[in-house]
Amino acid sequence: MENHWNRRTFLQNTSAATIAALGLGSPIASLMAEPTNELAKKMATADTVILLWMAGGMAHTETFDPKKYTAYEKGMQGDRVLSTFKSIPTALDGINFSEGLESMASVMDKGTLIRSYVAADLGHILHSRHQYHWHTSYEPPQSVAAPHIGAWISKELGPKNPVIPSFIDIGQRFTVGEAEELKAFHTAGFLGNEHGPFMIPDPSQGLDSVRPPVGMNMKRFESRNQLYNNLISQSAHGEFGSDYQKESLRRSMEQAYILLNSPESKAFNLSTEPKEKYDKYNTGRFGLGCLLARRLTEQGARFISVTTEYEPFVGWDTHENGHTRLAGMKKMIDGPIAQLIKDLDETGHLDRTLVILASEFSRDMMVEGRPDLKVQEQVKQPEILNDIKFYGMHRHFTDGCSILMWGGGVKRGHVYGKTADERPCKSIENPVKIDGIHQTIYQTLGIKPETQYEIEKRPFYTTPDGKGKAVQDLLV
Amino acid sequence: MQNNISSDLWLLIGRLHPLIVHFPISLLWVGLLLECIAWRKKSDLFQPALAVILWVGTISALLAVGLGLVLSNQEEYSGNLINLHQWSGIATAFLSGLTLYTFSVKENKSFRLLLFSTVIGVSVAGHFGAQLTHGENYLSLQNEKVKPIIPLNASLQVQELTGKIDSKQKQDLGIEARNILENHCFECHSVKKSKGKLRLDALEYMLKGGEGGPAIQIGYPEKSEFIRRIKLPASHDDAMPTKGKRLTKKEIEILEIWVKQGAPWPGSSVKSVQSAIEPKEITEEKSIIGNEISNEKILAVSEEPISTPAALNTNQIQELTMNVRSILAHNCYSCHNATKSKGGLRMDKKELLFKGGESGPILVAGNVSKSEIIRRIKLPAGHDDAMPTKGKRVSKEDIAMLEYWIQQGAPWAAGPEKSLYRVAELEPRLPVVPGPTANLNHPIDLFVNAYFKKNKISWPKTVDDKTYLRRVYLDITGLLPSPENIAAFVQDTRPNKREIWVDKLLVNNDGYAQHWLTFWNDVLRNDYSGTGYITNGRFGITKWLYGSLKNNKPYNTFVKELISPTKESEGFIRGIQWRGTINSSQSTEMQAAQNVSQVLLGLNLKCTSCHDSFISDWKLDDAYAFANVFSNKTLEIHRCDVPTGRMAGYGVLYNSLGKIKETSITADRLVQLADILVQKKNGRLYRTLVNRVWAQLMGRGIIEPVDMMDNEPWSQDLLDWLASDFTANGYDIKRLMRQIVLSKTYQTPAVGLKESQMLTASNFVFRGIMKRRITAEQFADAVSQSFYPIYTDSALVKKMLPADFKNDIPFARASLVKNDAFLTALGRPNRENVSTSRISQANLLQALELTNGNKFNLSLRKGAEIWAQKYTTGESLVKALYLKALGREPNAKELSLAVKYIGKKPSVEGIHDLVWAVTLLPEFQLII
Repeated sequence: MENHWNRRTFLQNTSAATIAALGLGSPIASLMAEPTNELAKKMATADTVILLWMAGGMAHTETFDPKKYTAYEKGMQGDRVLSTFKSIPTALDGINFSEGLESMASVMDKGTLIRSYVAADLGHILHSRHQYHWHTSYEPPQSVAAPHIGAWISKELGPKNPVIPSFIDIGQRFTVGEAEELKAFHTAGFLGNEHGPFMIPDPSQGLDSVRPPVGMNMKRFESRNQLYNNLISQSAHGEFGSDYQKESLRRSMEQAYILLNSPESKAFNLSTEPKEKYDKYNTGRFGLGCLLARRLTEQGARFISVTTEYEPFVGWDTHENGHTRLAGMKKMIDGPIAQLIKDLDETGHLDRTLVILASEFSRDMMVEGRPDLKVQEQVKQPEILNDIKFYGMHRHFTDGCSILMWGGGVKRGHVYGKTADERPCKSIENPVKIDGIHQTIYQTLGIKPETQYEIEKRPFYTTPDGKGKAVQDLLV
Repeated sequence: MQNNISSDLWLLIGRLHPLIVHFPISLLWVGLLLECIAWRKKSDLFQPALAVILWVGTISALLAVGLGLVLSNQEEYSGNLINLHQWSGIATAFLSGLTLYTFSVKENKSFRLLLFSTVIGVSVAGHFGAQLTHGENYLSLQNEKVKPIIPLNASLQVQELTGKIDSKQKQDLGIEARNILENHCFECHSVKKSKGKLRLDALEYMLKGGEGGPAIQIGYPEKSEFIRRIKLPASHDDAMPTKGKRLTKKEIEILEIWVKQGAPWPGSSVKSVQSAIEPKEITEEKSIIGNEISNEKILAVSEEPISTPAALNTNQIQELTMNVRSILAHNCYSCHNATKSKGGLRMDKKELLFKGGESGPILVAGNVSKSEIIRRIKLPAGHDDAMPTKGKRVSKEDIAMLEYWIQQGAPWAAGPEKSLYRVAELEPRLPVVPGPTANLNHPIDLFVNAYFKKNKISWPKTVDDKTYLRRVYLDITGLLPSPENIAAFVQDTRPNKREIWVDKLLVNNDGYAQHWLTFWNDVLRNDYSGTGYITNGRFGITKWLYGSLKNNKPYNTFVKELISPTKESEGFIRGIQWRGTINSSQSTEMQAAQNVSQVLLGLNLKCTSCHDSFISDWKLDDAYAFANVFSNKTLEIHRCDVPTGRMAGYGVLYNSLGKIKETSITADRLVQLADILVQKKNGRLYRTLVNRVWAQLMGRGIIEPVDMMDNEPWSQDLLDWLASDFTANGYDIKRLMRQIVLSKTYQTPAVGLKESQMLTASNFVFRGIMKRRITAEQFADAVSQSFYPIYTDSALVKKMLPADFKNDIPFARASLVKNDAFLTALGRPNRENVSTSRISQANLLQALELTNGNKFNLSLRKGAEIWAQKYTTGESLVKALYLKALGREPNAKELSLAVKYIGKKPSVEGIHDLVWAVTLLPEFQLII
């Protein structure tokens, strides 16, 4: 594995004669050469990414892209229903959200709303495959293990604060159905375990991950570490000489000790948050995940994913009772996300923190997959609604989804793309695909679009074939 | 109105820039001239004049910069050139300031240097400026003169053209539109150059479009790509034009109206327009192939005198051809090959290379200066024509080689093309074992001895009994030797005791199977949980694998049963089936082809399952023919997931091994394939296996990476001998291990490396066995064995294991449990893909798991409670722990440290912490 962008190639690419002739250093040189990682990094507008993951397929017409509202009546035609919620205004003129997202609506002037994300068509519209695709930008399966976007960022930029793991994943448990499919992309793949996710399934227990083991106080923790160091110096390791296995073991143990002992680790302890603030976030695990993400951002986290958690038929994965359940989901996300944005903005962190809200695909009451492509239906949905449990978006829709972004160099108060106002409510303007989203994120972080590693002698790019292009219109 | 006036005024001011720039250019040059004369004549006669010149020169330079900035803001320029011009201009102004300063303070030396630099600077800036105004080729004599900008028809009233218009107006509109296109676009998109394969110099070409599809949709400006692009902000990737002035609002408006009005082109046909531009009539066909150039540049026909090439003999030509092909392969093939012939050019075949691409031949035999390829690879990276467009530049040596080759008349070796890549011998080979020496008689050692002699390495000492015993235990059964066994072994006085003990270990069939199951699970992508199982898209082979290892199934049979499987062993070739649409390179049949070739043949087919490989001679069709053997219906060949319409045949990669007889029954083909692959003459199959086992036992393969068996071994003789010995003696893996662990080579002290990359570096020199770190499973088992079980019986994957396995396990071994956070952190791979080596470098996530992970700490806690009951004194406990875990007594210092920590009467917490510390010692973690 070899990184193809380093300082040496940069210097080789630059005509030394030109620099000498002009008697001048980098400004001209950097214009002549292709941009390097160093240069790209200088142009970065973000240092930290928070991904708010709406797991299970969030219907755009019920959230950030509402269409005509039709109230439930027994015996109504399903195809009359585009939205089961009323629209409410946002801080942006002429832009509406769906009822229940009032707090987020009030911070929309601080971010960009993408209404034209188009998820891939992968045959079956399946959550775990589409989530794999969203998080890696590669379609599963792959012949080498594809890294999660958090792992790429960890690999390219490393930790922002050396004692905070560079890829933190909050809220997903692997005890749910399809857990193996989830694990398949919660990985650093060929980039190696050290860039894999640091899993915090329950944010209120986040501290447990970074403090001495249960039942061990700080004093004992310190003396245990002292004992370890003493025994190392006594053990016959001198005769073993120096080698990378031993050095890396000692270094990593030292790092772990520092992290568990560091002031930064207090950030994991949500109980030190003032009660008033804590309550604003506390809508359950997701809300507290947002709070933990904010606290970690303040201490120098690099990439944090907070998920509403994927579990088949739970959360956003509404196969029935869509309307009723979405009211609950909105309650879960609206307050904490708005508060997260406000808090980050107030402390100035939002300027260098890119917050993204996304989901693997959207939902619709009638269309499964893509309007023009027949795929296997996953949900039984009657044409006539005789029971309110059928009132909601229960089928999986890939052709129009919303993504929200705040901070880190994206425009404030901007809307990009558009979906049709009549069914199928698909993207009709500026469609964006996953590689474009990833490259946009990479660009804000100063990671070159051509970034690649050679694995088994083949180049493996951040996005397939290195083809994705950042959507410049989203960026300041 | 106010705004308009002031912006016009700014525009006027800005346009003074071209006037003012001539002052600094000429003045500074004159300054330099005067200074040179003064310096030669050693006189200061010119000092007063110089002062005036420098002052005026500097001020005018600053003024020029200011005006230039105003101008660039007023008229939208974009592209690299303007940046170059701007920065070189600013730099020059800055330099001239410095020059003036050094002149005033009479710093003569710096002054002269600075003046010289300033003059260079002003010339460079001036040159860029001239390129901006007069076009990039203004200095070049070969190219035709740049066309002057065609002035727009000022009287054209745009508003009047939006409604219904008559034919005269149409004509005017057409002329205007064409002129705008000519001013802004023809430079790159016309007969001279057709970037992106696009020409805009006739409506037909616009309709036909370029790589990105049609440029225009008549009647719909909003759907016309060229309109979209010229309207994009300059910074956008798609924005056009990429260099020079942006189009004005009015120009864009005219073009939009023109598209809307049906895009009337002046004159009636393409032909007449073309002839208006070019005297020669150009047909489309010609413009694509570029014959008009090739007529003048037929191979070896050149106007320039050809330097008489030195006569090369056949061998030299062969060598030169290989060199040239190798240079082209490394630098050019990735864009100019069968799959991706950019600019219509392919360089991977002789005829196509000489034929050239859309813009004509790329080389003129015997004439370096007329060979386009040389011109382009020599251009600086930023240049539009520079090649390669991505990746590294061609090295100076390689350019010299290509120039030499062209100068020689571009000779090409006759006969079939030789491979550019190292390809290992397929056939087995039995090298003669070097004669025994005084100390050595084991064949492995004799081959290593020859290697050591050649590399001037002297034999290190053989390791002591304890070290050796720990090594063979961990390598054969994956377990630590018990203190009793260590003592017995050390006390054993028989001269061949190592052999005796190794044989004892090798007959521990269950211990062996339980340890090597981990390796084979990784390699064969077999796991107890993972993707696919949920939808019956994946099948485990654990029972079969466990049984095969336990019974030490001969490797040829083992391979046969994997390829031509029973129900129990079919999981390997069945792959993992995800629901939904799968990329054709990941169909389960292709997975079978990839995995069989990687695991069993040490051959990577992953590139080749999408397209012809760039890194080997393997072709797409080879991969498909191989995959097709596994397929129930004939596969259609897909190139990069696009169907080609061709159906795959049957093939076994190496034709000399045999052919598959056509039959519609897959099982029959698999029987044939299995028989063909396990033949003795398939040396590759057995070299791959012995190399894998060697790598496991010695810490590094004779070939690395172990999946690339075409790479060079550090000892071909040793590898070949091991493989031949293996097939001559029953394909017996345990026998192979016995051979290796009883060699003196295996008994050398472990060599440590500073960096993990050095392990696979191509300049690796073998000096003995490598230091290794125990695997996740070995660690868990070692803790289980020496202290307290990490896993309980409930964690065992009972249903997947043979019915009677429980009688044969000492405790719940880690190779028999599902993957979890603890094992993952310690390096157990998720077995979605074949995984043939593990990383032994520690990292933070791993250390965190060990420091406060639940799994590990809870086990230690429980164990501590039991040990606290069992050992009543601290001293006895510490001694027992050191013996069990490290195979030795603690030294005095260790004993006192440990006892002090856990107390004379050991506390549960103290024991917990002590065991934690001891198991994390490098001494415990490493196999030395």
